[in-house]
Amino acid sequence: MKQKVEKIEKLILPILFGVLLIFLWQAGFLHYIFKLKVYQLPLPTDIVDSLRMNFGKALYDCAITISGAIIGMAFGSFLGFAIAAIATFFPKWGYGGMVVVTALNAIPIVALSPIMNCWFSSGMAQKIGVVTVVCMAAMALNAYSGLNKLKPFSIDLMYTAAADKWTIFTKLRLPNCLPHIFTACKINVASSIIAAIISEYFASSTAGLGFGIKDNLRKAEMSTGWSYIVVASLAGVVLYSIIVIVERNAIKWHASQR
Amino acid sequence: MSSAGIQIRDLSMTYNGKSGEPITALQNINFDIREGEFISLLGPSGCGKTTLLRIIADLLKPSSGDISILGKTPREIRLQQKYGIVFQSPVLYDWRTVRRNICMPMEIMKIPKKERTARITKMLEVVGLEDFGYKYPFELSGGMQQRVGIARALALDPDFLLMDEPFSALDEFTREKLNEDLLNIWSKDKKTVIFVTHNIPEAVFLSDRVVVLSPHPGRVSAIVDIDLPRPRKNALREEAIFYEYVAKIRKSFEGV
Repeated sequence: MKQKVEKIEKLILPILFGVLLIFLWQAGFLHYIFKLKVYQLPLPTDIVDSLRMNFGKALYDCAITISGAIIGMAFGSFLGFAIAAIATFFPKWGYGGMVVVTALNAIPIVALSPIMNCWFSSGMAQKIGVVTVVCMAAMALNAYSGLNKLKPFSIDLMYTAAADKWTIFTKLRLPNCLPHIFTACKINVASSIIAAIISEYFASSTAGLGFGIKDNLRKAEMSTGWSYIVVASLAGVVLYSIIVIVERNAIKWHASQR
Repeated sequence: MSSAGIQIRDLSMTYNGKSGEPITALQNINFDIREGEFISLLGPSGCGKTTLLRIIADLLKPSSGDISILGKTPREIRLQQKYGIVFQSPVLYDWRTVRRNICMPMEIMKIPKKERTARITKMLEVVGLEDFGYKYPFELSGGMQQRVGIARALALDPDFLLMDEPFSALDEFTREKLNEDLLNIWSKDKKTVIFVTHNIPEAVFLSDRVVVLSPHPGRVSAIVDIDLPRPRKNALREEAIFYEYVAKIRKSFEGV
């Protein structure tokens, strides 16, 4: 009972803060302190109106972007995990792979997008390419530490039972890695949506949230542009929540879930 | 040379310290362990007792010298899955319940499922954790976790039970109770136990023989036979003869 009350308290404060912020925004207080005109920062009611009028198109654009983000995230996470696993099995060669991945991690998305645009003809493939590279690094680095940062003696216990490398991998390294995989997924949800949107800025395609934001801001359709931003953040929240729910059920035993 | 038990011959272990200078952890160790014997490796920290246990367990390679176990190398014995090991810390896998933690080495050793389940139930009873089988490690106190680690090793019914200060993190009451429990379990089929400790009364209470090691470099300074009658109960700790053994071993450290 007490826990439940605490949980509600934890929820209520951020919601109150959000409501207050929207109220101040609607009332023009934000415009007053940042010295903005209404055409620079549309009012929440205008944004909601634009979204209502443009709902079908916005939903379609959202589906385009999010499907690219999810497919790219799946590819990237899988590749990243594979690299981490290979680096664990063959430490001598694998270490080089991890260094390359770390280097990839340092490439900014704005540099990656035009390059991928040259490589792929379709906007979707380009988007998936960018997201894959971006997500690969976070997964590889997190999974590698999860596969290799083991509790003291836990591997000695395996050796003493004469476990082979594969058994050690499946029974010790993999479950030990699970919380790290979720951490990487949470990082990747945010970065995959960002990467997908930015890649659309550079693509020749005429669909997607990124195109919607770019095109409407260019046409000075500020409130429509803002409605796309709202959709993008809502999609991010939904994806993030899904991962948190799966995580909560998958690793009940882990310290982060107590 | 007989092939029974464990023979340790001219065993030395040297490794490089932080600044590259060689450190002798063990120097010229020679002694035998009989099959079915309860033997303690006793000494202050830095005497190499854990190193010696890890060499027997094939977790470390000695710099020189030989160990023969039933006529075989430690590696062969390890690959034949004849070892059970208990560490200073419980080393439980967080993602497994208590029952499945105890099960883990048995899974690797391909013990049939029915047999595993029976042994787990029995061992939980032995360590007094019948009601905690389906809990996760984080739901248990430190002492309970350590008992799970012990149950996990005992469930294997290993030919050689290697214990590295298994009770050192426990309070005195729990330690004495578990000492007695361990003897009860051991007395049933008398497998070989090699028990590392820095606690003199514990070594006397448990062992057939105590190998006293002294540090810098680690070497055997005495081997003391403990001729106390078995079965031993905790009341033994009050008796004069018990004190005599404790005093005798303590004395062997004074010359160091």
